[in-house]
Amino acid sequence: MEYVIIGNGVAGISAAESIRQLDADGNITMIGDESGLPYCRPMISMVLEGTATPNQLPIRKAKFYDTLNIAPIFGERVTDIDVGSRTVQVGTAQSVAYDRLLIATGADPRPINAQNQELKNISYMRTSLHVANMLQSLAGTRDALVLGGGLVGFKAAYGLLRRGLKVTMLIGSGYPLSLQVDQTAGQMILKELVAQGLKVKVGVEVTAFEGQDKVEAAQISDGSKIACDMVVIGKGVLPALSFVPRDHIEVDLGIMVNAHMQTSNPHVYAAGDVAEYIDVARNSRWVNAIWPEAVSQGRIAGINMAGRPVAYAGSLSRNVIRIFDLDVLTGGLVTPPHENGYEVMSAMHAGRNTYRKMVFCDQRLVGFTMVNDIEQGGVLMALMHHQIPLTIPKEALLDTRFNFKQVMTHGAWAASPKAA
Amino acid sequence: MKKVIVHPERCVGCMQCMLACAAAHSKTKSLFLAVSEKPQPKPRVHVGVGLYEEGFPNRCRHCNPAPCQLACLPGAIFRDNEIDTVLIDPDKCINCASCAMACPFGVIRYHEDAVAPPGKTVAVKCDNCYERRQQKRIPACVEACMVAALTFETEAAAMKRKTDEISRSVSTGAETAALSPGFELLNTLKKVQIEMRNP
Repeated sequence: MEYVIIGNGVAGISAAESIRQLDADGNITMIGDESGLPYCRPMISMVLEGTATPNQLPIRKAKFYDTLNIAPIFGERVTDIDVGSRTVQVGTAQSVAYDRLLIATGADPRPINAQNQELKNISYMRTSLHVANMLQSLAGTRDALVLGGGLVGFKAAYGLLRRGLKVTMLIGSGYPLSLQVDQTAGQMILKELVAQGLKVKVGVEVTAFEGQDKVEAAQISDGSKIACDMVVIGKGVLPALSFVPRDHIEVDLGIMVNAHMQTSNPHVYAAGDVAEYIDVARNSRWVNAIWPEAVSQGRIAGINMAGRPVAYAGSLSRNVIRIFDLDVLTGGLVTPPHENGYEVMSAMHAGRNTYRKMVFCDQRLVGFTMVNDIEQGGVLMALMHHQIPLTIPKEALLDTRFNFKQVMTHGAWAASPKAA
Repeated sequence: MKKVIVHPERCVGCMQCMLACAAAHSKTKSLFLAVSEKPQPKPRVHVGVGLYEEGFPNRCRHCNPAPCQLACLPGAIFRDNEIDTVLIDPDKCINCASCAMACPFGVIRYHEDAVAPPGKTVAVKCDNCYERRQQKRIPACVEACMVAALTFETEAAAMKRKTDEISRSVSTGAETAALSPGFELLNTLKKVQIEMRNP
């Protein structure tokens, strides 16, 4: 069996490991455009911040490919897939045949529409190389401009603040992390960041950059100008699928997969940031471009590719953010649409400085936000992921004393014949 | 292999396991001295309160595959197959709380610890009393449990005992063995409470 994996990120790595567990003899080829060891992408912001070192980033040892008997092709991007002859085109000259193909190419930063982006000290923050470059130019910089209030923009701003820079953040929506947290938690984060010196501008965009060689200022859509000597673009990511033949493999925002991570072409699978599967909280197709999803989806894809049919329960968004004195953990649908059918409950505990908000759809938990006392977040995630109907009072989930026992006892009691 | 097995129906919520656990993971290994240690030793087993004030000793299940291990960003969480235990390397842990999102039982805590680098907050959870097991001693929580809500035995032995208990309970004329003094009364009280709230 010829397995080909496009992408050397965590989804590809997890898939390769799962395949090797089940199939000792098959040939595995991995193709990746970032050369070097596979590394932990979420940690690059910690390298920027200075709480992690670059040598902490690799997630596997150099001998990983040898140990698992994987043939690596690195530093190249796949340019085409021929589903008829079952080959992938790597670069211009090389073609690789497959029986089972995994597309785990991840995502690329969403580009912005502004002039003079080629000036120095303007960068995305997606790869370890981006961060290494940012760190190199850190010495000569004082004023940073961060575009985007999403997770990347937020982490860049936090890291640069911790490095002692003056940071201005431009946010499209009213508060940072509007896709990850609800408004109350967003305001709490914003308040904390502003207290630490972050400047925020809401509802504006950059139209052009100015400068001789390096960036010196940015022109803003409201007509004003912001002086800056470093710019980080964090406007989200888009699945990296330009090489995918859309007439043979169904593509929405991401590559559409079924519960086995299989695309509309039975020989081709997809996993991670590039794949689109059912989000259990939203109950619709959604790309959840997050690390833990990539691990799970890669694993499921690998198992299925090796011939053992295993279904995936569904994808789910989640995030945990630790900044200064705040721990924020969110999952699922944090801000439900206004249509009927959703029930929202929240509680603030001023004394413990905690906040909790739960979103329910009928008897199911479909989203939550918690600030501080986050240890039980995993229990809530499990309730959501397995779509377990709640048989306990919903208020119990808002209580900081909520724990596994409360769902366990009641689940057992409800399932007993006496209660039925 | 013997492992810690939890019998939730027996727990009286006395929290002795928590104290024993904290002491076993302290520098001095003595409860008396541990209370004044810095950082203050904390338990890895957590007696949670149920909806009816009943106790439950919640500890790491050492899942396989472990969701926390899959979610760990720096690769600090690993499985020691020889002792069938999921462990956290405090030097590698970056305190990102990704494991808090992943643990379906909510058993991971974040604090300073005697075995972690001084002053560093790390993820901490049950290690199946790794140190005590090296000394051929049973886990501290089991040793401390007075009502056998925590036992240290092989899974097969525990399953057989449970099967036997169920078999006995369906035999006509069988006498039920008392769990411990006062237990029947407590269980009866709990059952009444539950029935009153769920008519």
